[in-house]
Amino acid sequence: MPDDIADVYRNTYPALVRFLYRKVWDAERAEDLAQEAFARALVHRPENTRGWLFVVAANMARDEARKAAREKRHLTLLKSEPDAVPSTPEDEIDADTQRTRVRAALDQLTPRDREALLLWDAGMSYDEIAAQTGLSRGAIGTTLARARRRLVEAYDAGLEGGQHVARG
Amino acid sequence: MSHVDEGTLHAYIDGELPPNERTALEANLAQCATCRATLAEERALLERASALLGSARPVERPAPPFEQLRRSQKRSPWHVRTSFAWAASIMLALGLGYYLRDPGNNTSALYAPSEPGFVAQNRDAAEPPPAPAAAPVPTLGREQQERRQPASTPPTDEVARLESRVDSAVAAETRRPRDSGAEAVALKSSTQLRNVAPATTAPKLMDTSLRLEAVVVTGAGAVDKDAGVAVRGRATTTTQWQIISRGTATTLLGTDPVGLPGLATRRIRRSPAPDATVVVEQVLDSSTVIQIFQRSADSPLYVVDGVPLQQSARAAREAAPAAAPARADRLARFVGRLRVEIAGPLSLDSLNRLLEEVQPLP
Repeated sequence: MPDDIADVYRNTYPALVRFLYRKVWDAERAEDLAQEAFARALVHRPENTRGWLFVVAANMARDEARKAAREKRHLTLLKSEPDAVPSTPEDEIDADTQRTRVRAALDQLTPRDREALLLWDAGMSYDEIAAQTGLSRGAIGTTLARARRRLVEAYDAGLEGGQHVARG
Repeated sequence: MSHVDEGTLHAYIDGELPPNERTALEANLAQCATCRATLAEERALLERASALLGSARPVERPAPPFEQLRRSQKRSPWHVRTSFAWAASIMLALGLGYYLRDPGNNTSALYAPSEPGFVAQNRDAAEPPPAPAAAPVPTLGREQQERRQPASTPPTDEVARLESRVDSAVAAETRRPRDSGAEAVALKSSTQLRNVAPATTAPKLMDTSLRLEAVVVTGAGAVDKDAGVAVRGRATTTTQWQIISRGTATTLLGTDPVGLPGLATRRIRRSPAPDATVVVEQVLDSSTVIQIFQRSADSPLYVVDGVPLQQSARAAREAAPAAAPARADRLARFVGRLRVEIAGPLSLDSLNRLLEEVQPLP
């Protein structure tokens, strides 16, 4: 059984980190959470390790987000002016800015659409996404189509906005 | 004939369409130019979305060896286990301290509201009775400032590890002060544990704190006792403190109590000690309460058994920097005639900034 988890670890760890990163937007934190999820899997020995890992990871990321929101809420009490992201010519966009824009675009999606998209990107099948999100399998294609369209549209709108301010 | 919907096309491109549907779709595509055009558009959209997501990925680093994960799993951060470890360490430390203490060396005392009986064993029965205290009756814990028995001191890294593990427990305790169980006991007793840590480097840290002028980090309590601003090792839990009215608080402090403008004040309490310390509890959101401790800067020091209070727990904690917790810690500054401390389940930086906003309540 632990050997199974070791296999899953080798195959799934990078995807799980990536999945978590798009939720917490901190590479080290994403790695920590992914490792903690695997450590928990070693204790719980779930039947479907991979699916279980993503459920646990999503929950941990949600807790992180709540904590971050609490911190942010009180910081907005203190300062009214947001950190403006300077408008940069397209060809000078560095990786950080690009990440910030994608993040802002992802924020525009509904939670369910975003979850489906991130799970697909993490390598999960439609069946697995359906099991995790509670959507019917037949609805996954439509959900992903909508998520992808909104992501691209929100990203382009952010570029046109120029002074677009990253949220979150 | 109706055209194929985009959901089906995405499932087809993703290779997730069941075989029978795929066959039907391909037959359709062969006949319908519109559907083929739509397919091309959806494919481009899909690839664009994948590329965008791909541009927002972390720098991939190799996974740590699986074996390392299994090792760390043996001491995974389950709070229950941690709490037991905490409680056991504290009991060990207190027990050793009690056994090994030197009765002739009672030059300092530490006040800490705690579970009755938990630290009472450390009181010296030969001492005169404690100064009268407001109900409910606190337990006056005594700890000698100097510990000569390193055996009673947990290794620093052990403390650090425990500290980091109980961070969230500390936060939880602050939000839900009535929680019981090992965690609560551990937290209430944390003062004692910290007091056991070596205090040899404390003076240097005091100097550091003093250079920070009005706003000082934790070590504010390290101000010399003659300055009149000594900080007692208050436990995080203040639920035993008596709830008082705004008017009473004003009388005790000799001025209006202070707090954060714009936040609802949930309760005002007074310390059971006769030193007129008042805590204003304000609600940041449904799960976050900020505590603002305040006392008149020129009110006399609280004295235990005739012995002036000396800061020691905090100095001891500062002596082990790795053990300094990031949460539920307290910062201090002066607001008018009041010495004000702040505590809450937020980062030190956040608390510090909130503290700067403190002003007399309207």
